This record gives sequence, structure tokens and C-alpha cells, in this order.
Amino acid sequence: MRACAADAEVGYAPLVAALAALALAAALASVMIGYARLDVPAALADAFAGRSSAAAVVLEQIRLPRAALGALVGFSLGLSGAALQGLLRNPLADPGVIGVSGGAAFGAVVVFYSGLAGVFALAMPLGGVAGAIVAALLLYALVGRGAGTMTLILAGVTVNSFAGALTALALNLSPNPYAAYEIMFWLMGSLADRSLPQLWLALPLTVVGWGLLLTSAPALDALTLGEDTASSLGFDLGRLRAQLVAGAALAVGAAVAVTGAIGFVGLVAPHLLRPLVGNRPGRLLLVSGLGGAIMLLVADIVVRLIPVHPELKLGVATALIGAPLLYGLIDRMRREA
Amino acid sequence: MRVILCTLLLLFASPAFAKPQRVVSLNLCADELALRLADPGVVKSVTWLSQDPRSANVAAQAAALPANDGHAEEALAFDPDLVLVGPFSEPTSIALLRRVGAPVVEVGAPQTLEGVRRQIRDLAAALGEPQRGEALVAEMDARLARVAIDPIRPRLKALVLRPNGFTVGPGSLVDEILSRAGLDNLAARLDIAADAQVPLEVVALLGADILILDRDEASAPSLADATLDHPAIAALASRMTIVSLPARLWTCGGPEIAEAVERLAAAAAARGREATP
Repeated sequence: MRACAADAEVGYAPLVAALAALALAAALASVMIGYARLDVPAALADAFAGRSSAAAVVLEQIRLPRAALGALVGFSLGLSGAALQGLLRNPLADPGVIGVSGGAAFGAVVVFYSGLAGVFALAMPLGGVAGAIVAALLLYALVGRGAGTMTLILAGVTVNSFAGALTALALNLSPNPYAAYEIMFWLMGSLADRSLPQLWLALPLTVVGWGLLLTSAPALDALTLGEDTASSLGFDLGRLRAQLVAGAALAVGAAVAVTGAIGFVGLVAPHLLRPLVGNRPGRLLLVSGLGGAIMLLVADIVVRLIPVHPELKLGVATALIGAPLLYGLIDRMRREA
Repeated sequence: MRVILCTLLLLFASPAFAKPQRVVSLNLCADELALRLADPGVVKSVTWLSQDPRSANVAAQAAALPANDGHAEEALAFDPDLVLVGPFSEPTSIALLRRVGAPVVEVGAPQTLEGVRRQIRDLAAALGEPQRGEALVAEMDARLARVAIDPIRPRLKALVLRPNGFTVGPGSLVDEILSRAGLDNLAARLDIAADAQVPLEVVALLGADILILDRDEASAPSLADATLDHPAIAALASRMTIVSLPARLWTCGGPEIAEAVERLAAAAAARGREATP
């Protein structure tokens, strides 16, 4: 392991602290920047004094949930990307690329447009989680252990396009005339006008998912030595797989149910940060989650600063950064092969 | 012989015989006007949208008729002598109808009150019922005239919020409806086109007295409608009067806009009484 860590120039704790500070700064910037001039200190004072001034309402009900959801969803995507890449031992495994996000979007769409979301509050995030689990299981059945990159990507493309088609079908079946035009939100994602109740709904399932993913760190590190070695070290690989798939489904499913599927975050964040943790997949988890949060918060600030109406979808901004990176990654893998 | 022929021709050309007998409407707004203006039984088919009491004002009458999806071939099945289309009808459908020789009249989306009157009169003429058109216009104008606007009260500031966060700017029929109800449209300050999206935080900070939500009673859920249920709007209820105005009253520029004006004027009067007890 030491040899692998040779290119790690930074210590783990300082790296985590620096990324956490950056994520916090990005979240603060996200609160400060918006479409209207908002006196944030005054709004904060009103909010603490319990005065429901218009400024306090904007801060509490619009700006804060948006920033918090940006951090939450970005962290979920970055963390899940790192975990899935560790599990499948493939740098292209990302919830967006392999169809887990698409499956989650379909699950959430079915729950929301059928009116089931009004029956009990948690239905919406649970729908997202169910869709994500189905997509992950479908994928795992095809890819199994040790399948090549080609199989993974082809399986992912298949699951992804199928989930996208089902989402479009479900939206077109809705009697609401607006529904058919909402596919962009579900396939590209957005944080526009999300609300505080949505944050509280997504939070519990997401945090459980984070717990499952983060506690798999030692097993993921052992897995780099090969499955047999990991088993002989006492790690139950069947349990690890179940834990990671459930964790990613919970984190990504609950996030997508609120914001729609946002691509490339789970791909780019681990890819950029991997060299900084000496290629140790266990250490990459937390770091990649923080990186994902920073990336999503910055993308969400960018879409608000670009004077385009209606607002750009978040997936457009992340794809503009992520697609060239993915291209370069595939190119390098092809030449190394 | 020639005299008889001429007499016959004149007879058939007179209004009593020029009335279309098989009218098919392919547009929601045309449905409503046609059902109000034409003799019973003349309208053979209307759009499915008209059969939903949430989106249409003539749902009871429309429910008894075969519904269509706005396609040309559905209209042709009735061998129509008049087909009504709307501003958003497929150009290919309209072209197809014209090619096979079906008379087509297009119902527009009037942007002024005067345009609404003209539209009613034009359609009434096409249906051979000019008197009914005049009566409908007179009824609408009488209702509008009854909406008393207190000239002393300062005009209240209002903002329209539609699904997906759209508002309506100056130079539109909605702007004129607001003005008739004694309200100033705040969207005029936003430097926007007639229809534009406004971020919710701008809505919250603009300082409207009245927020008018374009909301249908119980349609299936959508993200677009969910923007009107955002908790920020509920949190602002103590600061501004929130009025829900069903889309069926002001989506089409028809005589029902009189009711929209009445409801808004009533809300403005109530707000005015609240402000100065």
C-alpha cells in the first residue's frame, strides 16, 4: 500500500479539512448569490428574531434549502461514485453513467405523477431509492464480478436508456399537460425553487446511505488486493456488495427524487481526487464526497449567474465540465490497454 | 326560368341557409365559444380538454359530445362544413383540412379586451349567429361595467404567478384584466416580455399587495404546478393577499374574463378594507 501512496503529496487529515472548508465556502457563496438583491445579515437577524419579513422568508425557504441540497446531493453523488468505482474496480463506474440515477429518476417520477407522493411524505425519496436499487441489481446481474469495462459501460448505457424511456413514458401518461415537458428536469436535474420540506425528506435516507458507504472503507481498501486476498483477510464480499449497492441506492435515490438525475459528478470528483489519496479507494470515499459537494455547489452558482431564462439545468453545467474529462479518461484507458 | 334560378340562389345565399350545420372544433377556446354561440346539435365534436370541468367552462355541454385530440382526420370524420382551429393547432393539420376543402376558421389568442369582443363577433358571424355574438359581448361588457372601482383608493400592486414560475407582463390581456380590476401589474417593473419566468425569490421580494396564482383545483400533480405550492408562498401569506384564479377564467380570451375581473376586484376591495380599517 505504501508504494501506491507514493504520489500522495498531501496528508489525509489536512486534505479533508481543506475540502470541507472549500465546501462550506461554496455553500456560503450559494446562499449569498441569487436572483434578487438580498441583505443576508439583515435577513438572518429577522430569521433569528422570528420576524417573517420577506427577506427572512427568502433566506429560510429558498436560499438555505438550495445551498444545503446542493451540498447534500453533491456529496451523495461524489461518495457513491467513489464507492461504486471501488466495488467494480473500474474508474468509469458512476451513478449517472451506469444508470442508477436514471433508475432513481424513474422511481421518483412514478411516485410523484401517480399522486402517491401525496399519500405519505417519504413516498417520493423511497420511490427514488427503489428505482436506484432495481437499476443497480439489473446492472450487477449483467456485470457481476470482474467484468470488463466494455461490459460495464454497455450494461450501463442499456439500463440508462431504458430508465430514460420509461421516465418519458410515465410523464406522457400523466393527464397533467405540463408533465410531458418535465423530462428535462428528471434527466438533467435542477436545484431551482427546491424547498425546506424536500430537504428534510431526503436527509434521513441519504445519511443512512452515507453511513453504509463510508463504513465500507476498510473492505474497499482490501479489495484492491484482489477478491481472494480480501476474503482471506476476513471481509465478507457478498455483504460488502450488498452494503455498497444499498448505500449508493439510498444516497443517490433520495437525492435524485428531489433534484432529478445530475450526471458526471460521481465520475469527475473521484477522478480528480484519486491521486491525492494515493489511490486508496477507502480514503477516496469521504474526500470524493466533499469534492462532489463543491462541484455541485459551484455548478449551481454558475447556472444562476449565466443570464439565461429559463435557468440552465444543472446537468448541463456538470456535463460541460465532465464530458471532456470522461473523454480524456476513456482515451487514456484505451492507450494504456 | 332564369328568374327562378336567381331567386333560388339568393335564397340559399341568405344567412338562414349559410349557417354551418356540422361544426367541429379542434381547440379548447374555440370549443367554448362555439358551444355558446351555435344552435344545439350543430357542434359535432369538441376537444377532450373541454370535457374536464377543471379546465373548461362548458364541460357539461361538452361531455355529451364526441371528444377529439385536435387532429385533422378526427374532424374530417364528421364531414364538417366548418372546422375551428386555434393558434397552436398543427399547421400540417390546418393545411390538410384546407386541401380537402373543409372551411377552416382560426380562433386567435386576443391580447386586448377589444380583441376579445372582435373575436366573439367574428366567430358568431362565421357560425351565422351575429345576434348571439352581440348579446354575448353586451353581457360581458355589462358585467365589466358593474365592477365598481373606487377611484380614491390607491391602486394595489399585484403580481401574477403561473405554473413554472411564469408571470404576465404589460401588453397582454391579463394585464388589462388586472387594470380593469383596479390593480397595478408589478411585472411592468421587471423589464420582461409579455410572458416570462420570474425566480421565486424575486416574487417574494417585489412587495406585491396581491399575488394572483393561476391554479387549477385538483389536476394531476406536476412540477410546474408544484411551484405554486412552494412553502415560501405560504410563508408570505401574512404579508400579501394570495388569490387563486382558476385557469379556465383567463386562459382563453372569452367572455368568462368578466368573472376573472370580478373576482380580482373583490379581492382588491377586501385587501383595501384590511389595510384601512
